[in-house]
Amino acid sequence: MRSQYDGGVCIVVPAYNEGRVLAGVISDLKRDGHQIIVVDDGSADATAEVAEGCGAFVLRHPINLGQGAALQTGIEFALARGAEVIVTFDADGQHRTADIVRLVEALHLHRADFALGSRFLGSAVNMPASRRILLRAAILFTRLTTGLALTDAHNGLRAMTRRGAQRIHLRQNRMAHATEILGQIAASGLKLVEVPVTIDYSRYSLAKGQRSGDLLVILLDLFARRLHP
Amino acid sequence: MIMQTALSLLLAGIILYAWAERRRSPLVGLLSMFAAIAGIYLVWIPAHATALAEMAGVGRGVDLILYIWVVISLLLFLNLHLKLRAQMDLITTLARAITIAHAARRSESASRLHEPETRAAS
Repeated sequence: MRSQYDGGVCIVVPAYNEGRVLAGVISDLKRDGHQIIVVDDGSADATAEVAEGCGAFVLRHPINLGQGAALQTGIEFALARGAEVIVTFDADGQHRTADIVRLVEALHLHRADFALGSRFLGSAVNMPASRRILLRAAILFTRLTTGLALTDAHNGLRAMTRRGAQRIHLRQNRMAHATEILGQIAASGLKLVEVPVTIDYSRYSLAKGQRSGDLLVILLDLFARRLHP
Repeated sequence: MIMQTALSLLLAGIILYAWAERRRSPLVGLLSMFAAIAGIYLVWIPAHATALAEMAGVGRGVDLILYIWVVISLLLFLNLHLKLRAQMDLITTLARAITIAHAARRSESASRLHEPETRAAS
């Protein structure tokens, strides 16, 4: 399925040791005709080779830096290549490629600079109760710290215009980037919309995803950034 | 007297360190400096330390000084942690620059490889 707004859309896929599932994800994205940039974040497995084999353009971090750092690298490279719209897409197979079109169309329809996927407006298949609680806490935290009244937080599926992407400068290398990016979106003053998307939780994606203990690490990372701007 | 001098010298060293660090980590620098100055004061006027300790419910003045020392140590740990984070920021910038430069070179050479084919086709 292609959108009438496909010109200049670049999909950034941060990947760390995703060799097992990446081929399926890239093939789906290629089938929809998107330009794909995979940022291999210093993987120890064949992530980069798999991505290249599937026809994605691969950026390789020489060392593992974290998902936030990989996203920023991908965004900067996509901007340098002249991308008009940048979509961030997780490598673990939990997103549906059909949602990309909805996000990109929402940018144009609402004249927004950011379109954020929301699993609570859409659906979350097989989401465990513990993950739901964790996400509710993240939504509340986002509201308190950024003022954004969102229905979802820490959703890796987002679209942004070139102008929006130029306002994003992620310095949180690891999971706290998901909160940091919302703070930067709020600070930019640019328009954002939420779009219903579907997240498919699998055993694999749950094992790779955030845990309740990560919440403390994220809070510490955000606090440390305040001390060291 | 020997102990008081030794402690004062150590605390003076911390004041110098905190002064040098205040630009990089203002909060940690100022707190360390404040704690070190308070430490020197209490080392030389232990009666005040005892009075303060009683007020704070610590008991002995020497315990209060020990606690101040612990606080200073924790602040120095925090400062080291922040320095490590700053180093990580630099490493990230460097790694990103290498990654993008390398990718741009690959992209360029790939387009050069395709050039003759394009010409031949036209």
